[in-house]
Amino acid sequence: MKIAVCIKRAADMETRFKIAPSGTSVDETGVKFDIADFDGFAVEAALQIKEKEGAGEVTVISLGADAVQETLRKALSMGADKAVHLKADAVPADALAIARVLAAELETGGYDLMLFGRMAIDAANQSVGPMAAELLGVPCVTAASQLTIANGKGTARRELEGASEVLEFPLPAVVTIDEGIARPRLPSLKGIMAAKKKPLEVKPVQAGESRVTVIKMELPPERTGGRIIGEGPDAVPELVRLLQTEAKVL
Amino acid sequence: MTSSGRPLPILPAQYQPPLPSERLIVAEPPDAEHVPMDVVFVGGGPAGLAGAIELARLAKADAEAGGSLGDIQVAVLEKAGALGEHNLSGAVVNPVAFRALFPGMPDSEFPFRAPVKAERVYFMSDRRAYRLPTPPTMRNHGHYVGSICEIVRWLGERAEAAGVNLFTGFPVASLLVEGERVIGVRTTPSGLERDGTPGSSYTPPTDLTARVTVLSEGTRGSLTQAYCGWRGIGSPNPPLFALGVKELWETTRPLDSVIHTLGWPLPNDAFGGSFLYPLGEKQIAIGIVVGLDYHAAALDVHELLQRLKLHPLVRPYLEGGEMVEWGAKTIPEGGYWAIPDRCFGDGVLIAGDAAGFVEVASLKGIHYAMQSGIFAARAIFDALKKQDTSAAALAPYDQMVKDSYITRDLYERRNMRLAFQHGGLYAGGIKAGLMTLTKGAFPGGRITAEADAEVARTAEPVPHLQPDGKLTFSKLDAVFRSGNATRDDIPSHLIVGADIPPAVADFYTHVCPAGVYERDGDRLVVSPANCVDCKATDDVGPRWTPREGGSGAKYRSM
Repeated sequence: MKIAVCIKRAADMETRFKIAPSGTSVDETGVKFDIADFDGFAVEAALQIKEKEGAGEVTVISLGADAVQETLRKALSMGADKAVHLKADAVPADALAIARVLAAELETGGYDLMLFGRMAIDAANQSVGPMAAELLGVPCVTAASQLTIANGKGTARRELEGASEVLEFPLPAVVTIDEGIARPRLPSLKGIMAAKKKPLEVKPVQAGESRVTVIKMELPPERTGGRIIGEGPDAVPELVRLLQTEAKVL
Repeated sequence: MTSSGRPLPILPAQYQPPLPSERLIVAEPPDAEHVPMDVVFVGGGPAGLAGAIELARLAKADAEAGGSLGDIQVAVLEKAGALGEHNLSGAVVNPVAFRALFPGMPDSEFPFRAPVKAERVYFMSDRRAYRLPTPPTMRNHGHYVGSICEIVRWLGERAEAAGVNLFTGFPVASLLVEGERVIGVRTTPSGLERDGTPGSSYTPPTDLTARVTVLSEGTRGSLTQAYCGWRGIGSPNPPLFALGVKELWETTRPLDSVIHTLGWPLPNDAFGGSFLYPLGEKQIAIGIVVGLDYHAAALDVHELLQRLKLHPLVRPYLEGGEMVEWGAKTIPEGGYWAIPDRCFGDGVLIAGDAAGFVEVASLKGIHYAMQSGIFAARAIFDALKKQDTSAAALAPYDQMVKDSYITRDLYERRNMRLAFQHGGLYAGGIKAGLMTLTKGAFPGGRITAEADAEVARTAEPVPHLQPDGKLTFSKLDAVFRSGNATRDDIPSHLIVGADIPPAVADFYTHVCPAGVYERDGDRLVVSPANCVDCKATDDVGPRWTPREGGSGAKYRSM
């Protein structure tokens, strides 16, 4: 079984962001980057499938500047077998432009299963995976919280509002991964050592025209401090009144 | 209670549990699955990284010259999740060790923010600041203001490029020993439940073997303390420590000068001072450092920093700005007389803050740490060449340190800090002045010192400050700004003595800048996830031990 996982290098969401002077991007000074959250779950899902099958190969693919190699190495140290760096100056804002570059690479690999995170935690498009599936002409299941492969078929579970559904699909297929799959493993010390010797192929790519441009970024308004209305049961009527009239949540 | 009704003074040592040496020094053969290394540096700070870079380079040069050493594997183990996240310093940096490590590289390529352009020293009262002539020990012309986090990340890139194995997120739990020899290390496990049982993401410890292990673990290193205890390595004076609490501010009013202060808000019987450093045009580092041999049990270093920011000298620079990072760390202050009698042993060396290579009068340690790491690398290289890493073969390390500016500087100012434990600010200050003039000849000899935990704490009242959330902050708000996101269900890594009386619980509450300790009625409540590894209570109260990798602070620019 050949599995590909497309991963994005994204800012650690614990970071306190600042907008760059351009007004259209995040100021990256002092910001820590890592595998985007859901992409980490996708890597974990791929490794678990490979471990269960007892055979196979997991390839991690990332698009971006040289810095993404660090992210690819981390996935290799978790246990992926090889990595492909699609080298471009920047990741375009247009999800379709990203999907085209990734689909072109996925097409050449002959993969049985192609995993993505449900969405990149920074851009939150949720569309690169499905678009790549469309370009490749393969089935697509989004936001899977469980995934099993058996007899050349995949079974995925998706969490819906108030219910969940189970789907079956033939391979090859694209699946985007939600949390719910086991927490991404931490690289072991031996894994880090081994990752240094695993192949990381660099392929310069030209991302096509981006038809979507970011024109403005804004930080959310500062949260104002809480208010203490009173203490004990006497404060309840006032709390209820404020929740109704001011917060309008009741 | 005494007959006058005043509570008795607290002697911290009386309530301090012993170091858990049996966990830190383990006489077991390494696990069959161990990772074989040649040299392991425990701690990826300035000492460990400079040492690893120098060693990798010496080995490479040897291989290129057709030498006998062959390929050697050098590892740096760091407990923080990423390099720099547990490092905190002022910092005004003397670039001398950078020049030694990167000969030919211009200063402009070093990871500093800006050269020191001007500096001012003030003696403070609660409302005024009196400019003092800058003492020779505090002159910083030719030095640079920088962030130790950025310095460490930069050194890490160089180490990686030199072929060093960097393992971040791997604290060392134990030294593995055989006879008197250190043969490697064992990392901490991760993914333990609160009760210490393995959880779903459990990762077992990993053993690494090494021909030489370098303890470059920083201030109050647990392994260093345990190793010195185990081998009976003492020092003429007990080591002394200070606690530094620091904030990084984004400001609109640029600061044009490095500022140091003495006096208020510290009481006269406490040793320390404060600093304001410009990190470029838009950021200011502000911090306060207080020797942990202070007397008032209710003294609270975090609160003193909050109070300092309200002073008319300081406030105008910060008002309208934003506090973006907060952190705390102890500083080894014992100086020359507190350095271990030997910093080498069979298969082991001690470098940097772990060895106490800090010069207090000039508030500097980074270049001493780096330089000692470089010396460690050179001693190890020679020992590896001779295929002998016994104590005798590694002993030249101590001689290199003794023959260098590390010992020269520390010796010249050997008694300066100690004068303050005996004389307080005024008498201590006068003596320190004479010591500076005579380059340490006055009064000569050695002033003795008491360990911080042996200094009695009195119940004198200390005013309390109510933080406003804009300029001044509570400990919980402050810890949030350290980036600490340790999971709440982690087992406690802190060892607290039994039956802690309420007055001692209050003392711990004040010592810890991160709000780990609180008193609830007569009970001491411990929140270990708040801990930012400053090690203050390890000096005078509950013991700190290594915990799961990646826990604690995530400093970015401290």
